[in-house]
Amino acid sequence: MDFIITEDQATLTQGVRDYLAGVHGPELLRALDTSDSRRSADVWRGLVEMGLPGLLVPEARGGLGLSLLDAVLIAAELGRAGVAEPLADTALVAAPLLAKAGGQDALLGAIAAGEAKVALQHPVNPWVADLEDASHILSVKNGALLLTERSGDSELLDSVDPLRRLYAPVAASGVDVGSADALLDHAALIAAAQLVGVADAMLEQATDYAKNRSQFGQPIGSFQAVKHHLATAVVKIEFAKPVIQRAAVALAEGTASASVHVSHAKLAAADAAWAMSETAIQTHGAMGYTYEVDLHFWMKRAWALAGAWGDRAFHLARIDAAVIGGALPIGPGHSFA
Amino acid sequence: MHLAYTPEQQDFRAEVRAWMEANVPKEPLVTLEREDGYHQHVEWERRLASGNWGMVTWPEAYGGRGLDLIQWLIFEEEYYRAGAPLRVNQNGIFLLGPTVMEFGTDEQKARFLTPMAKGEVIWAQAWSEPNAGSDMAAITSKAIRDGDHYVISGQKTWSSRASFADWGFGLFRTDPESKRHKGLSFILFDLNAPGVTRRPIRQLHGDPGFAELFFDEVRVPVENRIAGEGEGWNVAMATAGFERGLMLRSPARFQAAAERLVKLFRAHETKAAPAAREQVMQAWMDAQAYAYNTYAVASKIMAGGHIGAEASLNKIFWSELDRAAHRTAMQLLGASAELRHLDGGALNMWLEGYIFSLSGPIYAGSNEIQRNIIAERLLGLPR
Repeated sequence: MDFIITEDQATLTQGVRDYLAGVHGPELLRALDTSDSRRSADVWRGLVEMGLPGLLVPEARGGLGLSLLDAVLIAAELGRAGVAEPLADTALVAAPLLAKAGGQDALLGAIAAGEAKVALQHPVNPWVADLEDASHILSVKNGALLLTERSGDSELLDSVDPLRRLYAPVAASGVDVGSADALLDHAALIAAAQLVGVADAMLEQATDYAKNRSQFGQPIGSFQAVKHHLATAVVKIEFAKPVIQRAAVALAEGTASASVHVSHAKLAAADAAWAMSETAIQTHGAMGYTYEVDLHFWMKRAWALAGAWGDRAFHLARIDAAVIGGALPIGPGHSFA
Repeated sequence: MHLAYTPEQQDFRAEVRAWMEANVPKEPLVTLEREDGYHQHVEWERRLASGNWGMVTWPEAYGGRGLDLIQWLIFEEEYYRAGAPLRVNQNGIFLLGPTVMEFGTDEQKARFLTPMAKGEVIWAQAWSEPNAGSDMAAITSKAIRDGDHYVISGQKTWSSRASFADWGFGLFRTDPESKRHKGLSFILFDLNAPGVTRRPIRQLHGDPGFAELFFDEVRVPVENRIAGEGEGWNVAMATAGFERGLMLRSPARFQAAAERLVKLFRAHETKAAPAAREQVMQAWMDAQAYAYNTYAVASKIMAGGHIGAEASLNKIFWSELDRAAHRTAMQLLGASAELRHLDGGALNMWLEGYIFSLSGPIYAGSNEIQRNIIAERLLGLPR
């Protein structure tokens, strides 16, 4: 029993954070916001050179063969940097599902090389992200997960998040590569992990603003009202992180209760990010209500990811069945049931 | 990260479980905040010690078992699973004990730790004063050096367990000219020494759970001082860290409360308000999150790390989840919530628990103080 992030994992995470801080800062988000495609071939090339698409692709297929625990740590960094590229969906959700399904070596190799991108379609969402950027689609029919190459286009939907590219769902088809539930659990876990990264970014922005903005002759961050708002948000964020890690391990190990832990993770992360978004705009005052301050990119991402891959009602229903319904053993001694 | 118990850890759990099943009193004890209940709880401490379960993480030389923090968590889980009584010596074993372990001399460790683990000496804390609550550096109680003794004069208040306990620990101003955090020393004293007067204070529930202490030229040997003269503030901050951080409130306590709350909800489901269902689920989720976080902190400490200002995150989280869970139970009980005894005459533990939970956000440094610490020390906001 050890509940610890190894030094290797911390080093990898820090490396990704440093890299993204250099190439994927707010200037880039603002530039993408005014571009037609909202995507950048240069940025994608950089992510590929960093080896990020292949993180969870088995080593024999040209990847790094990392775990879902590594995936949630990296996903948080993508959230922190505001990355909207289809990297998380392809590398952190589709790749481990395809590796588990077997028989998809060529596609996994193409993912690791940055040549293939997989869009994820599930009935829990009324949209498909990055459909027209994708080479393949994972979709759902009768509870089964189907894989096919993408053909044809779809209607572009308009998200409040200027960097999300959402499309109307298409007809499901393809070869059976697993279950719809597995897609939902993996994608909800990665959404939760991105949400804490999004929350951390908003915390950092609000904290910086509180240190630098002066009123009544002193930084507003010296006032207890502001301090306590931010401290309350930190508590929520920090206590969501171990829940996400616990869910990642449960899902990786195929624990029977894994989906309950994924739902707990999604609820905790969405609560933390949503609360942080309101704290962050309040800390910024009127500046926070503008398009000029970068905060809005992360705030909108928080709203989007909070509703994606199962909303509050969806995930509470799964907790309800397990905890109130009695399917899951609870109480002291059942910390890791 | 490896989230499964080893065979040795499972064996240890079975050993604790068997002992608890054979030894935990079948009937709940009277509250430890009353004199009769206090003595029942002292008896329980001694029974625990007879099984060598007084403080499992301490070295064997001091009455412990030399176990690691994961084993301590397993012990706590089995302790609460069995419904064992509250630890009347918690101020000793969870706060003073780790402090003596870190700052005490070998002589002090032998003198104070072993009787603590054995339940022979029950400890009270004596931090606050009438004008030094959240602002603890405003302490004015003095301990003036006189040869190989200190002479203590002054007043302490909200002193938990002091109505009945044997010994106390607290901060005293050993340099009468000093101000604020300087010139304070951490001193242990016999509550039965000449010159100590205890005035029990009735708490919200009506029982004298804490007391005011009056010191009238109480002579205390110099060897009762922990660490150097004038170093008391740093020692006390370390003690406060133990209190807020890992040990005082183990997750099993809240997991047990969440489990009972789920059962209460099932019994009241048909007449429960719609929001209650979600609040019950939140109680379970928060207790689990606290457990994961505690396992993470324990793992970090075992790997050579330490817990600093992030202890303040823990204190806010457990105290607020505890209050919310008990408030939910009170609301589920509805018109029965005010009754001190429920069907069959059993004490209404939800009411008792809710009253106690209201102290959580206040003691061990109010949650406002914890939020200041988070903002200033974790986020770097200006003071």
